[in-house]
Amino acid sequence: MGNPGLRLDMKKSVPFAIVAAALAAVAFLPRFASAYSVVFCSSVIMYAALSLSYAMFSGPTGYVSLATAAFFGVGIYTSAFFGKSLPLPALMIAGGVFSSVIAFAVGAITLRLRGVYFTIFTFGLVELLKHFVLWTETTFAGTRGRTVASFGSVTVFYCMLALLTALLLAAFLLRRSRVGKALSAIGESEDAAAHIGINTTAVKLLAFSLSSFAMGAAGAVMATRWAYIDPGIAFNSLMSFMPALMAIFGGTDRLLGPVAGAIVFAALEEQLITRFPSLYMIIFGAIMIAAILFMPSGVTGLIRRRPAKRKEDVPVGDS
Amino acid sequence: MKKHALALLLALLLLLAPALSAGCAPDGGDGETSPTPDEAGQTPAGSVEGAAEKDKIVIGGVRSQSGVYALFDETAFGPIYRMWAGEVNADGGIYVEEYGKKLPVELIIYDDKSEMDTMTRLYEKLILEDKVDLLLPPVSTAALFAAAQIANQHDYLLIGAEGAAVSIKENIESYPGFFCTLNFSDTQVPALTEVLTEGGIESAFIVYIEDLHGMEYSQAAVPAFEAAGIEIKGNVSVPPDIGDMTPIINSAKNSGAQAFLMFAYPDQNFLAVSQAKELGYNPDVFFIGSGGSFDSCKLALGGDEGVEGIMTWGAWNEKSSDAAAEFAERFREFNAGDDTVFADWWGHLPYYVSVQVLQQAIERAGTLDNKVLREYIAENKFDTVMGEAWFENHMLAAECYLGNVGQWQNGVYEVIDVGGNRTAEPVIPKSAWK
Repeated sequence: MGNPGLRLDMKKSVPFAIVAAALAAVAFLPRFASAYSVVFCSSVIMYAALSLSYAMFSGPTGYVSLATAAFFGVGIYTSAFFGKSLPLPALMIAGGVFSSVIAFAVGAITLRLRGVYFTIFTFGLVELLKHFVLWTETTFAGTRGRTVASFGSVTVFYCMLALLTALLLAAFLLRRSRVGKALSAIGESEDAAAHIGINTTAVKLLAFSLSSFAMGAAGAVMATRWAYIDPGIAFNSLMSFMPALMAIFGGTDRLLGPVAGAIVFAALEEQLITRFPSLYMIIFGAIMIAAILFMPSGVTGLIRRRPAKRKEDVPVGDS
Repeated sequence: MKKHALALLLALLLLLAPALSAGCAPDGGDGETSPTPDEAGQTPAGSVEGAAEKDKIVIGGVRSQSGVYALFDETAFGPIYRMWAGEVNADGGIYVEEYGKKLPVELIIYDDKSEMDTMTRLYEKLILEDKVDLLLPPVSTAALFAAAQIANQHDYLLIGAEGAAVSIKENIESYPGFFCTLNFSDTQVPALTEVLTEGGIESAFIVYIEDLHGMEYSQAAVPAFEAAGIEIKGNVSVPPDIGDMTPIINSAKNSGAQAFLMFAYPDQNFLAVSQAKELGYNPDVFFIGSGGSFDSCKLALGGDEGVEGIMTWGAWNEKSSDAAAEFAERFREFNAGDDTVFADWWGHLPYYVSVQVLQQAIERAGTLDNKVLREYIAENKFDTVMGEAWFENHMLAAECYLGNVGQWQNGVYEVIDVGGNRTAEPVIPKSAWK
């Protein structure tokens, strides 16, 4: 029994080492790549972090959340309020904490909703927060927008990379934890999960708050690159759809699926928008439709489908 | 099924290959658009190629060609910079003394989808990767703020077009390379107040859009009107996505205010006009903000008769000066046959001034060095379609404008400011809607 177990560990440690090496290599990017590569990669990493955090909750549970833009916006406003008095890593953590607190409060009330009702609510949350912030800003501060302190593109890059690394680790550990298994059980059948003693609301709440931490942290970092924000910019519903599409495109079954989806999507967008601006949306839409038709498990599902099948067919000890 | 999927993935990778290779190319690499920095290791604007090989001036801009602000690139600054580049190139280019020859202009325009992250990232691309010589501004005040900061970080010059705000003045000191050419509330609201008091208006109902533009005009108008003895009978905000103005028009009607003023964007402004007509609301003064000065608004509001008497922000017309008349004629000629481009009797003149200033600064200072150009622009006067133009604290001086308030009269956009810029007497009260 010890032998297959060892082999399994070896098997698992190889992708782990590859990911660690890839992250380490990316960390050296500002040393050898062009200045614009650093700016571009920060955006890619932002999307990777957003889609990964989306997949952390929505992947196993099947709850489609469109609240990413809401928590991203909370992070943005954290930087707008405290950007001039706190260093960027502290802003990042503060953005994450504020988002988690709001997610917890909102989730406690709404995570009893299921299916499309939950999705509609999360979409409404973006609008609700946008108009709430707009109202408070115009009523109490007499302003609409705010300027945000800048920290330079390399600092932004490293903060985003640190966030993604922490998030990958968190997502990896979550999948293997009891909570992770419980989330998958909820995805399979929420009623059955409740019947075997899982406190489904508590588990969903925990995962929802955890995933929103990364969204808020990403918002806090990216806002410093934008110089000026207002509620319309901060709570942009595009930020809810893009991470969800990226995660679906990459595949939510695998840990690296959303990251792969984000990289492919962001690179594709950059190419299309600068080279074929008038065809951008047409090509983008066509690729998305084709991907959903032909790759229901996303890019990573496609690549790893065969070995996964073989593993099921062949007894572990025989391979 | 799998075969299809693999083929799709391969096709995708093929499409992405140039993106990934370009994204990872080091500075000064072999990429097509990665020019070599100069010997000092600096990459000042204007170092796209060595002096000997320099054969064009590359000007980059990130414009909203799709999304909510797309209308502005279509109708506002868009037609102006395209016309200017066409004229410059037809003339053989701009003479740059440091290169000893005329250089044609090449525009690199990216679409930001009216989205902030894309906008800021693509400006960095223009500066760091494409290494453009000069920048054109983005659409909207918020985007201008952000772009001004990026331009400033890289010592680039940025002359604004659409969008400006009094609040931009608070930060102007930190952006030495940023200039504004469009007139806004601080010159327009006093001019409007004069027109209203002259016309005997004693009460007003204000509606403004809940954004920087609307709030700023409302915040400027309320104290100015009150100081002039105009009673404020209402000061109501509306969201940008408002689809029905009926309750607001009705409350304005019930308030009995002599003047109705709408400080918003074309969508809301045109809706207000249409619904006021439907509800038979015809106050002595009907004022709308952005969009009202576009010739194209006649299409939306029922031709010359449909816009008769409406007042808006502006303002200039062909009677303002010979240079303005000549510009209007050139604009018509350049866009002849294109039925999507219309004159804007507010912004088109200041926008054209922004590119004229750029061109004259290059010709006179003899360089494409942005730091030299920004000093030159801050300290000198220019011969423009608005006459002599200069900047005071990075804003075009108030005296340069040919008007601030206009009114549609018999299909002509008339300047009605009190004083020398006036091209026709204001009609107050306006005639009944037709």
